[in-house]
Amino acid sequence: MKYKSQKVAYWFFATCMLLLSLQIIYGFIMGFARIGYDGLHEFIPFNAARATHTNLLVVWLLTGFMGAAHFIIPDESGREIYSVKLAYIQLVSLIVVGVTAIIGFHLNWWEGRKFLEIPRPLDFLVVINVLTFLFNIGMTVWKGKKFSTTGIVLYLGLLAAALLYLPGMIYFHNQTLDSYFRWWVVHLWVEGVWELIMGSILSYLLIKLTGVDREVIEKWLYVIVGLTFLSGILGTGHHYYFIGTPKYWLWIGGIFSALEPLAFLGMALFAINMYRKSGRVHPNKASLYWTIGCAIMSFVGAGFLGFAHTLPQVNLYTHGTLVTAMHGHLAFWGAYAMIVLAIISYALPLLTGRKLWNNMTSLLAFWISNIGMLGMTGAFAVAGIAQVYLERKLGMDFMVVQREIEVHFIGLLFAATLFTIGIILYIYNFIKFGIPSDEVLLPEDSSDDLQFLNENA
Amino acid sequence: MLSKSQAKLFFISGTLLFTVLLLILTVDTLRQVPIQTRESNLSEEVKRGKLLWDKNNCMGCHTIMGEGAYYAPELTKVYDRRGPEWMKVFIKDPQAMFPGERKMTKYNFTDAEINDLIAFFKWIGEVDLNGFPAKPTLAVSINSLPTSVDNSSIPQPAKFKSLCMACHSLSGVGGKVGPALDGVGRKFNSEYLHKWISNPSEVKPGTAMPKLELTEEEKNEIVKFLGAI
Repeated sequence: MKYKSQKVAYWFFATCMLLLSLQIIYGFIMGFARIGYDGLHEFIPFNAARATHTNLLVVWLLTGFMGAAHFIIPDESGREIYSVKLAYIQLVSLIVVGVTAIIGFHLNWWEGRKFLEIPRPLDFLVVINVLTFLFNIGMTVWKGKKFSTTGIVLYLGLLAAALLYLPGMIYFHNQTLDSYFRWWVVHLWVEGVWELIMGSILSYLLIKLTGVDREVIEKWLYVIVGLTFLSGILGTGHHYYFIGTPKYWLWIGGIFSALEPLAFLGMALFAINMYRKSGRVHPNKASLYWTIGCAIMSFVGAGFLGFAHTLPQVNLYTHGTLVTAMHGHLAFWGAYAMIVLAIISYALPLLTGRKLWNNMTSLLAFWISNIGMLGMTGAFAVAGIAQVYLERKLGMDFMVVQREIEVHFIGLLFAATLFTIGIILYIYNFIKFGIPSDEVLLPEDSSDDLQFLNENA
Repeated sequence: MLSKSQAKLFFISGTLLFTVLLLILTVDTLRQVPIQTRESNLSEEVKRGKLLWDKNNCMGCHTIMGEGAYYAPELTKVYDRRGPEWMKVFIKDPQAMFPGERKMTKYNFTDAEINDLIAFFKWIGEVDLNGFPAKPTLAVSINSLPTSVDNSSIPQPAKFKSLCMACHSLSGVGGKVGPALDGVGRKFNSEYLHKWISNPSEVKPGTAMPKLELTEEEKNEIVKFLGAI
């Protein structure tokens, strides 16, 4: 690392590892409940497990983005973080709010709207917390020696994500309007501004790992985020098909969501092309795997599987079934979990000074977790499609169908076990790196780890 | 080839254009939603019912308008499917209705709260959802077993219609959880039937049939009806 304050990022990343582990535990609780082993029902009913699982995901991804910002922004602005103390305060308070929310879930304390389950008083604390973060990072950018496109797009993404949290805090008595504005948060986050964050982290990693000219990479960053908003903003319409909003959303949502995979396709092609143009051999292969892997899996999970059930004619039957869970798992994994794991893999050797680049553990972690997640997606797909045909097409009773598809959840649990082994290996490797050290203060380019192809030629 | 500044222009202008379009469509949607959702029927009870729905994170298991988790049934049309009588009995003790099945938490709602929830479901059921949930296009009447007697001519007691028919069927119409009741009056005498509906698990321990809160008069009415079919 080049700047001392980049160390803050490590603690954000360590928090990510902890929350991810907890998220997986709650996933297993739900998986077992689905095959009838619901012994924890009295203490952790399904709705608490489910909200904990999804909220932990959101919080660990946001923590990862924040960590990425603390690592990337000093580098891109050419200065230390504005206030390291504020950064630590912000991290600790985020954890406190998160833990309070999760304990609250187990005590039936809710706002109770899908993905926005945390109670209203905590919403305000989240807002204050995120404002602190944006202030700290914003001041770093503002007072920085240089403005880079990557840095600005990353900051814009984080700022917009904070602003879009607000429409979710308005209360409506009408369930339709409640849902309408809830999607402004949820959809415009994951199919909008989060892609800005993801795109800019991807750009940063590609600049570092491939050495392709910054101007070329950042030009494509603009094209990709341009495509994201071109399709994603009106693509919100695919949540407005069947919730009591006008019929024209079927057309608008259908057409624009069909365009949504373009941004992800662009991202995948862009990453692969930049890799081919690469003028250097970066020693950190694990990070390169996660980076390219992220670009490809996000296209499969978010782009392709999203498209698979977004057409109104199809969605009429798949809406509100396990098909959504199928798409959700691979989309979040491919687009957002993998980009966070990529930046962690990239940053760890630089933060700690230990050059554990390409040991077997880190590469196995990549392959096993990805194969596991693909297996889980497959299990959800089979269960979801069976549910659609039996319940929605044949009109069978919900619970009768659920018993019929139970067997696929045994498959899901096997795949999830494989996935978990991958994540355990990743975390084991994370721990092996140890904590960051001030002795490694030097820019990456001046170390002799990088090999430049034209020099070798 | 595209330059960086052109790419930037593409990003900024596209984002602005589509943001403005979303805002315009939102204004129009806000104008139309009150009609499409029959907002005039959005009574105080419905509002309180929605608050209960949120406060207990019902969406963490169920779906409504197709949104939520996929662990428990979709409830958009539950008012039509089950009726208020059945819902009242069910919400009071969910596990008693489906013993040994996937569990729902017993929330100890007051009668007033249960009425609010039912009002909320009734309102939701009347919202125009552009055709959702879709009619099961491949549905065949799996349950329509041929019966020697046509029972449709005999009037059903009110409680029988709202409670028993949620799980049992007659002439192929009704629920699929319990066995069909066609001809049950010829199999069992009225004394046995009375004992059975008064306390099912006493007659057959471990049975899935719940003990329903029925008055003596209602029980007699149902037994008499069962004897006639």
